[in-house]
Amino acid sequence: MINSFSTDWYFITLIFFAGLYCMLVSRSLLRQFIGLEIMSKSCLLGVISVGAKTGSLALAQALIITMIVIEVVVVAAGLSLLVKNYRITNSTDIWSLDNLRG
Amino acid sequence: MTYHTLLFLLVAVAAVAAVMARNLLLSALMLALVSVGASLILFDFQAPWAAVFELSVCAGLITVLFVSAVSLIRHEAGAAENRARFYAMPLVMGIVAIAAWFYAVPYFEALENWARLGARPVSLGTVIWNIRRFDLLGQVSMLAAGVFVVNSIFPRRKKQK
Repeated sequence: MINSFSTDWYFITLIFFAGLYCMLVSRSLLRQFIGLEIMSKSCLLGVISVGAKTGSLALAQALIITMIVIEVVVVAAGLSLLVKNYRITNSTDIWSLDNLRG
Repeated sequence: MTYHTLLFLLVAVAAVAAVMARNLLLSALMLALVSVGASLILFDFQAPWAAVFELSVCAGLITVLFVSAVSLIRHEAGAAENRARFYAMPLVMGIVAIAAWFYAVPYFEALENWARLGARPVSLGTVIWNIRRFDLLGQVSMLAAGVFVVNSIFPRRKKQK
């Protein structure tokens, strides 16, 4: 069926690097989340590619469904923290988190 | 170049566009395009359930969450970012792409030779409800934790004196 395992993983590497670059370079919290999403998307593609290669697609699908559910929770919690932080500090700069006191 | 590889290329280009877009709304929409491409790849791998989840949740719900977050923050409140780093991204991606072509692809080909077939093909229902039943508990508790976090961050307003 699909025998381009190494090509798939080549593109997965590139997608992962794009997300990593976004997280490294950007100072906006929202962009950091977008980078995280891109990285998690590349991991998802890696899981399904390996699942197809080893013939255990059902297991890969179950893992992906788990991953998507957890991703939604992470994004919802993170974005609500972002909006709350914006209301307090009036900025989405990641270094504004430095001002928080316990 | 096959349909499969073209889909991967689409996802990679959309990911770069999502990172490079100056406008945060455009960035969120490009992220939705990444999700749509990933879901098409999942369909191509004959994993329809995961693809439907990806399309409905990641391309739908997460995009809505991102767009609502963008609408809640003002544009000028964004951090003063150094755009030069973003403009340098195609160059860096090109270097990484060339390096990965020469160094990572032989490694992946070696990995492919290590792949072994799974024990036996089972249905998705068997995996979810029997083999990985413990995961469901984790998912439900994660959802409950998410609801609790959002609820505690945005409490109901009380009457002020």
